[in-house]
Amino acid sequence: MKRTLDIGVLLSRSGMYAALAYASRLGVLQGVAEVNADRTLDVAFRVVERDPEGRLDRYAPLCREILRDSQARHIFGCITSASRKEVIPELERFGGVLWYPVPYEGFEASEHVAYMHACPNQHLIPLLDWALPSLGKRAYFVGSNYIWGWEMARIARERVAAAAGDVLGDRYIAVGDTDLDHIIQEIRALKPNFILNSLVGDSSYAFLARLAELKREAGFESGLTVLSCNFTECEVESAGRAAEGLVSAGPWFEPEGGSGGSFHEIARQSVHELAKLLHGRPGADVLPLSELVQSAAGSGHTPRLDPTNLHARQPAIIARLLNGRFHEIKRLPPLAADPYLTRQFEASHDHPLLKVVS
Amino acid sequence: MTGIRTENLGGATAWILHRPHPSVQGLIRQLGVIGLVVREAWPELPAEAIGADFIFYDADMGHDEQFPWAAGQSPMPMIALIGSEAPGRLRWAMEMGAHAQLLKPMSDKGVYAALLVARSNFDRAKSSDAIITDLQNRLSARQTVVRAVMIFVMQGKTEAEAYDLLRQTAMAWRVTIETAAERLVANHSNERGNDDGRRIDLA
Repeated sequence: MKRTLDIGVLLSRSGMYAALAYASRLGVLQGVAEVNADRTLDVAFRVVERDPEGRLDRYAPLCREILRDSQARHIFGCITSASRKEVIPELERFGGVLWYPVPYEGFEASEHVAYMHACPNQHLIPLLDWALPSLGKRAYFVGSNYIWGWEMARIARERVAAAAGDVLGDRYIAVGDTDLDHIIQEIRALKPNFILNSLVGDSSYAFLARLAELKREAGFESGLTVLSCNFTECEVESAGRAAEGLVSAGPWFEPEGGSGGSFHEIARQSVHELAKLLHGRPGADVLPLSELVQSAAGSGHTPRLDPTNLHARQPAIIARLLNGRFHEIKRLPPLAADPYLTRQFEASHDHPLLKVVS
Repeated sequence: MTGIRTENLGGATAWILHRPHPSVQGLIRQLGVIGLVVREAWPELPAEAIGADFIFYDADMGHDEQFPWAAGQSPMPMIALIGSEAPGRLRWAMEMGAHAQLLKPMSDKGVYAALLVARSNFDRAKSSDAIITDLQNRLSARQTVVRAVMIFVMQGKTEAEAYDLLRQTAMAWRVTIETAAERLVANHSNERGNDDGRRIDLA
């Protein structure tokens, strides 16, 4: 017999990043349906959902509402780092856990968050370690003007500098802004080997469209490869043909050409992971997350999360978008997360960046 | 390749000077997550703590004798763990040389920021100290420079000529103006010592 437990869902169905939240939301709901249909698991989930509508101020009150008014202790959701930071105080107050299923910039390890996707040592660093020797050392960064864009550029700058490369430019535009003339002009003048694109949503699609125009000009047919750690299959339709050739890094890409990408898949896997952690252990849903993970070892399930930093071990896959599908270029075996980039910073690349010159 | 490691915290050693207490658990956990090696001590820091990269110390029950160095003289960044905000306790924590602080009970928040702020403040204080020492040396050297200029003036040069001569001398000897002045003054004193009798005769 299954016991039924409430779980929360806190994903926006409208607003700036609705396309991403939509993919994550479908992943959660698919995961719930699969768990509920799985007779080998003794838990079933009932979804308690709130829609923040992409408005930052709504996350904390709605998170509180779920934790206060329902039995749910585990909430799946949040896309932006800002919204994640908003809900953490509520999780602390009510003893809740956020299952966060999208990539982020690292430098956090809350005891109330299950970081299920990837952080920079699992996406950005492997991506640059592939790009610098393969594409060239002239880099250009463009990002949305908030923590994701800033921190990705900062880490990338360190990495490019260590490889004796040049950062030709580093530009930010407001979230949602599509006025890109100055950036395109700069790229035309500087001709970088690659562009790290940390723009989100409409800004990103507008940028890709303008860059595709530039690439049709004489002399720009090669180079200008776009790299991203946040572009997945769930944005292919919005970006259209202009995204062709983009190289992305992430823990999972659609093998059959689906449209949800890792935003969908990791959300789905997160629901399964919680079900496995709770299987055969009535009452375990109220345990602190680290205890839930640590004590699961005895029940025969190997948890996806590191019991100390509560980040998932993930492979780093680098893939290129061709004809609307990501094709794998390189795959690193599952790497432990290093959210503060203090451990095994070197483990993710296979040739040393410094060579002895004789 | 340490240069590319973000802030170089991996493998750094932090000592926590606090009696065993649940309020410290969050700090120990978070330091481990960040990648530091954590050592605990109470009631005194052992001498080997001198080699630590960071010290976290209890501001509530702490006192000067717990540290193997004088107040404010720690050879590494120090982070005060503050429970009571009574002015007396805060003053002691500052006098010990807090480069940053954390409030009790310590959680997963603020630890990384405290490490970076403490190291930045420590580094700034250290470089300021070095600049101050250098300026003090130069200040005391100024008197010597004036005396060296006066030697040339006594030999009939104008003040401007005297300064120029001192500058040329320093260049010729490939030393700083201060060092050149010191040598000139020393030589002059020696000559004067030998000449003293004759000068008196002349007078």
